[in-house]
Amino acid sequence: MKEPPKPVIHVEKLVRRFGHLDAVNGLNLTVRPGRCHGFFGRNGAGKTTTIKCLLNLLRPTAGRIEVFGLAPQQHDVAIKARIAYVPDAVAFYPWMTVSGTLEYLASFRTHWNRDIEADLLKRFQLDPNQKASNLSKGQRTQLALIGAICPEPELLLLDEPTSGLDPIVRREFIETVIGAYQSGDPENRTVFVSTHLITEFEGLIDEFTIIEQGREVLAMDADRARSRFQKIRARFRGVPPALELEGALSVRTTGRELEVLADGSAERVTAQLSSASPESLESESLTLEEIFIASPTLSRAVLS
Amino acid sequence: MNFKIDFKSGKPVYLQLVDQVRYATASGVLRAGEALPSIRPLAEELRVNRNTIAKAYTELETLGVIESLPGKGSFVKAAAPVFTKPVREKLLLKEIEQAIVVAHHLGIDRSTFLSLVEERLDHFQRKNGKSDE
Repeated sequence: MKEPPKPVIHVEKLVRRFGHLDAVNGLNLTVRPGRCHGFFGRNGAGKTTTIKCLLNLLRPTAGRIEVFGLAPQQHDVAIKARIAYVPDAVAFYPWMTVSGTLEYLASFRTHWNRDIEADLLKRFQLDPNQKASNLSKGQRTQLALIGAICPEPELLLLDEPTSGLDPIVRREFIETVIGAYQSGDPENRTVFVSTHLITEFEGLIDEFTIIEQGREVLAMDADRARSRFQKIRARFRGVPPALELEGALSVRTTGRELEVLADGSAERVTAQLSSASPESLESESLTLEEIFIASPTLSRAVLS
Repeated sequence: MNFKIDFKSGKPVYLQLVDQVRYATASGVLRAGEALPSIRPLAEELRVNRNTIAKAYTELETLGVIESLPGKGSFVKAAAPVFTKPVREKLLLKEIEQAIVVAHHLGIDRSTFLSLVEERLDHFQRKNGKSDE
């Protein structure tokens, strides 16, 4: 058997306190190379604090972090040389031009792909002579993305990168991450993205971790999660019969309709429901966003 | 060809792509020798992970549906069966059994089931514009 490749990010029991507030409280997280890992959580769940700990911008209160198998506090430069980071609010020196900003960013890097730089400047229609202070929020994000992709890092960290942007810029952003970044050297291009806009990233994400109150509640492969969690709707002629449904996580009755959340047992639940002769019977998978919303219920099922 | 991804189908995304290409080749929408879109533009267009498309193409190659020529792209192969007849029949039986199970749960009787199969066979034959032996 081949040994599984070393994870790009490995976090064990991470704790970060701010005074009396436990922003991160015992988080475990593993991101494998070449994957796109979604990091979902509500506001204040501890996403940004985690990312700042990965970047050595914050010192953990307790726990262990490894990026490329190295500890961020001891190997700050060695790690930063291999990663790029796009935060939700990007800021540049206002007096620098677009091309001046990219020059400045490139000066910190040992490698910088000029072809990608030229391609993306053209694609985003950014004027190289424009002052950074005159850029719109969308254009600033595009500039930050160019700055993150040109060094062709092994790990791209994105923290709410598309929030507050218009739909066209958001779409281009995701296309660029797939095309310009992922296609370079697919085995060694890892994306770690924290986002609320789960639907937009659905196709890109192949595994995810849901964080709540500083701790992971669900970590799964996206395809596996979608085939495992299903929603089954049955409508009856009258009041739905009281059924003892085996394999159901939750059952909700509204009028003549019964909605069942099934955990890997959709066929069994469907068979039980159909024996009660409903008028209609439909089932569909939960999307990643629906899985996120239902995660308190789902995590109990996964843990039990 | 026009790919459609449905995240609510419960089927892995790469398998959806595999099935759509297989459907398109069976129904004559894609013919032998025709090129499939290359991985990067297709991934961008569908906004799907690049690796998902690559995995679908690898699977199609294994199944003998397409062949990839380095530097040229991926092309639909002439339908030359890669498996022996008994293996092919066994593979098909698995699919048929699944359809029978679904039919049972939907309360579809034997004659309706058989006539639906006939109808679909005719449909594909017409689309293909040629008869299958």
